[in-house]
Amino acid sequence: MISLRSVTKLYNEGRPNELRALSDVSLEIGRDAVTVFKGPSGSGKTTLLSIVGCMARPTSGRVLVDGRMVSGLPETFLTEERRSTFGFVFQRFNLIRGLTVAENVALPAAPLGPDPRALAARIETRLEALDLADKADTPVEHLSGGEMQRAAIARALINDAPVLIADEPTANLDTDLTHRFLDIVADLRAEGRSVILSSHDPRIWQSDLVDRVVGMADGRLAEVAA
Amino acid sequence: MSGRAPLPRATRRLRLVLALFGAGLAALALEAAHARLSRPAAELRMAASAELVRAAGLTDLALFTEARHSRNPALADLHTAFQDAPMSFGHFPSGSFAPRPAAGFGKGTLGFDADEVRR
Amino acid sequence: MTPGLRRQRALAEYTLAAMARRRGKNIGLVAVYAAVVFFVASAMLFSAALRREAAIVLSEAPELVVQNLLMGRHELMPGAAVETLAGIRGVAGAQGRLWGYFYDRVNGANYTLMVPFDPALIPPAGAAIFGEAIPRTRDHPWLGAPLFLSRHPGDLVRFNAAGQLTAAQGLVSSDLILIGEADFRAFFGLPPEVYTDIAVTIRNPREIDTIVQKAEALLPDARFVTRDEILRTYQKIFSWREGILVALAGASILAFAIFAAEKASGLSADEAREIGILKAIGWDMRDVIAMKLWEGGLVSVGAFLAGTVAAYLHVFAFGAALFAPVLKGWSVIYPDFPLAPEIDGIEMTALFFLTVLPYLAATLVPIWRIASADPDQVMR
Repeated sequence: MISLRSVTKLYNEGRPNELRALSDVSLEIGRDAVTVFKGPSGSGKTTLLSIVGCMARPTSGRVLVDGRMVSGLPETFLTEERRSTFGFVFQRFNLIRGLTVAENVALPAAPLGPDPRALAARIETRLEALDLADKADTPVEHLSGGEMQRAAIARALINDAPVLIADEPTANLDTDLTHRFLDIVADLRAEGRSVILSSHDPRIWQSDLVDRVVGMADGRLAEVAA
Repeated sequence: MSGRAPLPRATRRLRLVLALFGAGLAALALEAAHARLSRPAAELRMAASAELVRAAGLTDLALFTEARHSRNPALADLHTAFQDAPMSFGHFPSGSFAPRPAAGFGKGTLGFDADEVRR
Repeated sequence: MTPGLRRQRALAEYTLAAMARRRGKNIGLVAVYAAVVFFVASAMLFSAALRREAAIVLSEAPELVVQNLLMGRHELMPGAAVETLAGIRGVAGAQGRLWGYFYDRVNGANYTLMVPFDPALIPPAGAAIFGEAIPRTRDHPWLGAPLFLSRHPGDLVRFNAAGQLTAAQGLVSSDLILIGEADFRAFFGLPPEVYTDIAVTIRNPREIDTIVQKAEALLPDARFVTRDEILRTYQKIFSWREGILVALAGASILAFAIFAAEKASGLSADEAREIGILKAIGWDMRDVIAMKLWEGGLVSVGAFLAGTVAAYLHVFAFGAALFAPVLKGWSVIYPDFPLAPEIDGIEMTALFFLTVLPYLAATLVPIWRIASADPDQVMR
């Protein structure tokens, strides 16, 4: 259970280019569910995902993860919270160029001090599940868009995060690949994970998989559909 | 899990680099040991020189033999100027970064004329 | 393996993988840095060996040398002063030294002619014992060939070879010609009962200062040089030369640190973004900094190891071919002696920190701001 209470986020606070990305957002996101934030670009979806995923701190308001206050935590604890709870798939995937798929997938595990053989086995299992096993030693810049996304998903899940957060996951995918992505989401849900997405793609929020769609406009919640 | 699986490439690469560092350390240790082991022989050689210093009554190293004030720097003239400029008179070339002048150090021959021999 | 060690290993593996992307550039960086270290380490090893050699060899020099001064310049020492000095309490013995220089017009070398103290070393009349370099630089056709010295045109003096000093003693004797007193006085036209200077032997080294005070009162014009001053002169000479080289190389190390800082602070958008990605996927500031420490450490420690190992070989196996002219000076006569291998632990430790710390600081400081920022920039 993730709770946001009166969360406001300002960028460039106090400067002429101040930007109010979120205004007074209160929200509860349940576990074991697929939640989608929908809305036009600039509506605050990405900022909301950053705050939910402990990647940014709200300017005011509070964030609770499973009842623990995380919005006021110092950087080190915030990172631990992020690492143990959330896996991220970024809109532009953010794989590290020049490294192979396996090396990219291993990155989130590095600060935890993994056993290399066990980690290699975990990566192999994860890549097989995502049909990427044959690309394990390929540098990421040689992958197609869909393969990059699956590599990013594998990386997000390597620490076995219970919550996967994906920002505009289908923005760069065609219909086939969009369906492929939804299949993966279905698998994750079946494994008991929560999935939080942002999207302005009707193919996503009209899907049967989605438990809850949260509308957003101008940094506020617009309408909440169950 | 798969205990015999090959190690990932990154791990093998780290091992290779650490092995190189280990080899460097070992080479340094080997050199230190070499310095240590060659000490007795070197001390014997230096003892021979020290004995000559005692027997002949020497005070200086024969390193800078060119100028009067540099052959015996420990006994140099009190009023010898700091002469480190190349080609100055009574120049102390040993302390200079400039190359040695090509000409001007001896003419290379000694005439063996019978009446030149005085003794 | 503890989790902490495994974490370091994983971070190091990432660092290496990231560095391997620009393999040529990074190997080149280590190589150039190693060359700088090699330069400094060679200078340090070389002059440490020379300082040690000088200290050991000259420990047998006379405790006190007394020179006569006239108008502030060296002057011949009257023989009567020998008795005066020998009479001071605490003086074990005083002996007039006879030594002088001879410029050889044949090869441009400057020889030192000397009458040795030890009667066993004094050659018979008309003969001389040669330092190792003299037959070598005069191209003597056979061992034991006589030496002809010409003081001025139309003059030739012959010295038969009574023996030769070994190359092992070359550091103190390569230009020496040891002859008897009568030959010495005849060769230089020196009147009897004068000496170049006087060597004084003192029983108790702690009394040297008192004896010098007494002697100054008796010989007000003389100049006194103690053995400690001789030894100190040589430590200074070689430290000064080493200092010149280290100062030069110090500038290169500084330049290198500036280069590294420039490289890290002018972090390309790509690199800053990569750090943002790492933070976003669960690395915290300490992980990023540890990773950068690995990067700086691999470069600088690698350069230190390669540089010092090569410097030892350069100095002690190849005779310091590159720097010998600056460190030893050059001469027409140059002693051909092997250096005793010696590693000065304190100097090497200093060099280690001089190499590694500026580089680590230069890689870390600029990264700090990026490493401590919230990672949400990568979302947009």
